[in-house]
Amino acid sequence: MSDNPVSNSPVLENPVLENPVSEKPEFSVNPEMPANPEDLSTNLIQVKDVTKKYRLGHNEVEVLHGINLEIKDGEFVSIMGQSGSGKTTLMNIIGMLDRPTGGSILIKDIDITKKSQKELVEFRRRTVGFVFQQFHLIPSLTAYENVALPLVFAGDKDDGAVASALERVGLAHRMHHKPVELSGGEQQRVAIARAVVMKPKILLADEPTGALDANTGSMIISLLKSLAGEVTVIMVTHNKELAAYSDRIVYLKDGNVAV
Amino acid sequence: MRLHMLVLKDISRRKTKLGFAVLSVVIAAAAIVAVVTTFSAATEGLYEESNKFGANIIVRPEVTTIPLVAGSTSIGSLSMGENYIEESEIPKIYTIKNNSNLAVVAPRLYGVAELGNSSVVIMGVDPEKEKNLKSWWEVQGHWITAETPEKTEVMVGSDIAGPLGLKEGSPITLSQGNLSIDAVVAGVIESTGGNEDGYVILPLAASQYLLSKEGKVSSLEVRALCNDCPVEEMSRQIEGVFPGLEARSMSQIVDTEMAVVEHTQSSAMAVSIITLLVSTLTVASTMLASVNEKLKEIGIMRAVGASNAQVVSMLFFEGAIIGIIGGGIGFAIGTAASSIAAPMLVSVSPSPMWEILPLVAGICILTGMVASVIPAKRALGIDPAEVLRSV
Ligand SMILES: Nc1ncnc2c1ncn2[C@@H]1O[C@H](COP(=O)(O)OP(=O)(O)OP(=O)(O)O)[C@@H](O)[C@H]1O
Ligand SMILES: [Mg+2]
Repeated sequence: MSDNPVSNSPVLENPVLENPVSEKPEFSVNPEMPANPEDLSTNLIQVKDVTKKYRLGHNEVEVLHGINLEIKDGEFVSIMGQSGSGKTTLMNIIGMLDRPTGGSILIKDIDITKKSQKELVEFRRRTVGFVFQQFHLIPSLTAYENVALPLVFAGDKDDGAVASALERVGLAHRMHHKPVELSGGEQQRVAIARAVVMKPKILLADEPTGALDANTGSMIISLLKSLAGEVTVIMVTHNKELAAYSDRIVYLKDGNVAV
Repeated sequence: MRLHMLVLKDISRRKTKLGFAVLSVVIAAAAIVAVVTTFSAATEGLYEESNKFGANIIVRPEVTTIPLVAGSTSIGSLSMGENYIEESEIPKIYTIKNNSNLAVVAPRLYGVAELGNSSVVIMGVDPEKEKNLKSWWEVQGHWITAETPEKTEVMVGSDIAGPLGLKEGSPITLSQGNLSIDAVVAGVIESTGGNEDGYVILPLAASQYLLSKEGKVSSLEVRALCNDCPVEEMSRQIEGVFPGLEARSMSQIVDTEMAVVEHTQSSAMAVSIITLLVSTLTVASTMLASVNEKLKEIGIMRAVGASNAQVVSMLFFEGAIIGIIGGGIGFAIGTAASSIAAPMLVSVSPSPMWEILPLVAGICILTGMVASVIPAKRALGIDPAEVLRSV
């Protein structure tokens, strides 16, 4: 029982897209290529008129009211906004854990809202990494095994990617420890290593410092900052100081992008 | 690390909780193994015994008993018909169609005689022929041989030899009415668990003399020589040449006992299968509880790239592991239980039936997998966005 890549998109077979120039010929044969050549911008992510409605009993509640957002490859973007403004909802939609009710999301010019559930799993594995406020490590697994999880599910060989990801977050020496034996900051670094082990294009961090003290929090932000460039980082935070590390801040207000 | 390693680590972490599920599989598997092992030993024992009987067909006079009534008072009954077989008639048996399959035809005469102060059953036999039929008898001393005048030889069963202190060479006197025979014990038959334990066995002619039944025998024990003989058919042929005699094949006797064994076995099996169904439910509910416990973990796995198929396959693997552990332990316990219980229930000591181990393991794995269906459905209903959002 494995899900092989069923997509006919050549981009899926080559998840490591360090060089955007080399993508161009692929796009020219891509059937999902958008009609407008201007869209072949440096924008990695294009959020177009995205709405999200939740059904609450008999009522429908719209929590995103037509979000438009463009994020460049390698950018470090902070998303801020009041509690309930829809930040997590937007992150989950960009991260393909959730589907929008309306609108479309283009990642590398591919409309992910048109993909089947099965295609999406394979695409997501190699395109996005998640970091959560509560770390969400698996308690029975060591740091090393937690970081290896995405490889396990993708069916990839561990050719040193796990060790180098742990090294990247400065935890190579604690790889055989279980989450309970690690501090909060260390756990979050393991989670970041897990998020980047597949070398994704996008790193989604939803309040990554929310459960950490100020010092540890800024350390995590510096780590994310150092990763930006290689990977596009989108971070939700309530902390203005931390948001200042990023290239750009996007404000959400009641389900709309505030300017 | 592989997907299945993840499951194994998870199982080892939740040993105690899964222990209950494993235990229920153990009980079901143990019950099935115990039933199968015990009853197949019983069946085998029955066949072995039927072989030991040494004769496939027993020929004896047809006995019709009619009540004697005087007025309205019963004054006993009268056995009609020929109660003995004429020795001179025996050769007629060789005229049956399947005569080439008649390996041994051993005549016997039964009666009661006095030995010292007690009555014993005596059995007159043709020593050579009887030895053919009872080759497995362990005789302390030697088999009786053809009669020699003044020194009749007898063999005694262990139930008689013990209390009377008889052994090889002991002189005995058997008497019946005015007649008596002085004999010497040639051998003592070690207990076989059969009737012969209580018999005094002597040459046919001596028994005929003692019982005043010259030229008569009580029954013929016939061994048919062939694999898969048409024993029933031969019985009918024998009845055909001996009007008034009845020939019963051993298979008829064994069949009756076998039917009892089979009936008991199917009731025991039914109970085992119910146990198996109950254990499937137990495994299912344990696993469902574990899915609910692991909601967040399943959500995390989905978020880091697990597909629906992978989540389901992990659950099924977990079920299969529970099944195979339970099946293995159950096999051991069931085998041990039947080795204790079978000697008491069916007086046979079974040996471990390794050949059913793969089948038992297969059934248990299947049980675990069937039990995983509902938990898997539940797991597929998990929305990772939702479970990861809640802290
Ligand atoms: N599954 C759901 N069903 C119904 N309403 C939901 C669901 N998930 C979220 N919501 C609602 O959608 C709105 C946006 O939620 P979201 O979690 O995106 O906010 P947020 O900006 O991340 O808030 P916070 O800063 O507190 O994390 C909230 O009003 C929330 O109650
Ligand atoms: Mg949130």
